[in-house]
Amino acid sequence: MIEITGLGKTFTGQDGSAVRALDNVNLSVQDNEFLTVLGPSGCGKTTMLKMIAGLMPWDEGEISIAGNPVRGPGPDRSMVFQNFALLPWSTVLENVAFGLRLRGVSKSEREDRARELISMVGLTGFETKRPGELSGGMQQRVGLARALAVEPKVLLMDEPFGAVDEQTRRLLQEELLSIWERTKVTVVFITHSMEEAVLLGDRVVLMSARPGQISEIVPVPLERPRSSDVGGLERSKEYVEITAYLWERLREMHDEHRAKNPAALNGAGR
Amino acid sequence: MTALITRARPKSGLSKRLLNGRASASLISLAVAGVLWEIVGQAAKVPFFPPLTAVLVELWSMITRGEIFGNLATSLANLVLGFGLSLIVGIVVGTAMGRYRRVNAALGIYVYALLTAPSLVFAPIFFSILGAGQGSIVAVIFMYSAFIMIINTASAVENVNPSLVEMGRSYGANEWQILTRIILPAAAPMIFAGVRLGMGRAVTGMINGEMFIAVVGLGRMVTVAGKSFDGAAVLAILIVIITVALAAIALVQFVDRRITSWVPNTTKES
Repeated sequence: MIEITGLGKTFTGQDGSAVRALDNVNLSVQDNEFLTVLGPSGCGKTTMLKMIAGLMPWDEGEISIAGNPVRGPGPDRSMVFQNFALLPWSTVLENVAFGLRLRGVSKSEREDRARELISMVGLTGFETKRPGELSGGMQQRVGLARALAVEPKVLLMDEPFGAVDEQTRRLLQEELLSIWERTKVTVVFITHSMEEAVLLGDRVVLMSARPGQISEIVPVPLERPRSSDVGGLERSKEYVEITAYLWERLREMHDEHRAKNPAALNGAGR
Repeated sequence: MTALITRARPKSGLSKRLLNGRASASLISLAVAGVLWEIVGQAAKVPFFPPLTAVLVELWSMITRGEIFGNLATSLANLVLGFGLSLIVGIVVGTAMGRYRRVNAALGIYVYALLTAPSLVFAPIFFSILGAGQGSIVAVIFMYSAFIMIINTASAVENVNPSLVEMGRSYGANEWQILTRIILPAAAPMIFAGVRLGMGRAVTGMINGEMFIAVVGLGRMVTVAGKSFDGAAVLAILIVIITVALAAIALVQFVDRRITSWVPNTTKES
């Protein structure tokens, strides 16, 4: 459904130096697939997501969704942001209804729909609170509800659980799985956590940095539905093997990078 | 991620006490200044610095004679027109400068030049174009107050979190929706800081305009009293002017609190 062919982008730094952010990226995402994208920082994974969202132009290649070339943001896609990007002056209800409001949906209709989604993400009773009164995990539930309220075909998630604590992250992962199992929307999910990539994804796209390229696509043969027994899944042989394999690959990339750039410090080299 | 940051309202016992503490600090400060004024005035025995009681007697007689009200109304009308005009221009031009780099490049130099130029320099120009009437005074008030509001609004708009704008775009917001639903509300707290400064300068402009261009209103009263070396009358009118200024700023603060009630409390010590 999402077809990416020959996607490339070069950023020019302030000193005039060129950085190849994405290079010849080819990817196709199936309908209802949960695709996770994993890679070190600077591999262009967020850049690629923003391009799919229609928020950032690219230099070469083509992106199409259900056969329609992407020219900008569209109602078939919605995005969940790492830093939540909630309107701090609006209530939970208004935030969830925001996308619908922009599309001119009537007040009563959009509020009904928003209440439905608020209940789906477990925030009933918080409709009149403002984001500043909520914990990080609750704020991201609002972000997720807002994204689902517009009934997208594709849900784009940019390290959505990167800014919350570990326990909250686990709960949000389980809830996202159970919501996805019910709604079956196509998901592209950016993460830098191997565990998260394997736990959630049907396939894990492994990207390497400088230039940002797809280095490998790893299928995850874990059974679905997964939301009911995440703990058991994590002890399964397949899960352990895949995460170990991904770690090995990430480590290779890191070593290669260091061999090419002896000056680079530890940690993926910013 | 701090949960439950709420703006403290003067409802709870603690914040009520803090508020009273602040109010009584202001009252004590005023009382001390009043007593000092009285003592110095009594001791100095010079006509241009009469003691506080003499000034209050003069103020009371102005009120009973009714002389003050017509002049006050004239001045307030000038203030409302001049400040209203510069508020509209300040927000419109400031928003355009903050949002669009080209507008900023084109207008920035003039705005900064006019901010730093002594506003009364333009008085003769207004005088010759608009005559010795209300138009000239309104123009002087505008010159005093508009540019600080333009510059402040521009930097408020520039500092809006870009991820909120990106969020708006991803949900298909057009430029007008981004301005009115995201940028202006997000910039409002900082815009209001500039509006408060602008209001203070507008009152200064009003008095200067009334003293040096068209001799009307409170400015006329100051001029007349000054020419007859009536120190008590000058200071009595000064008290009226300061009251007008403080009331105007309190009005701005009241509107500010209504609009930006979502902003978490600052860490200011009571």
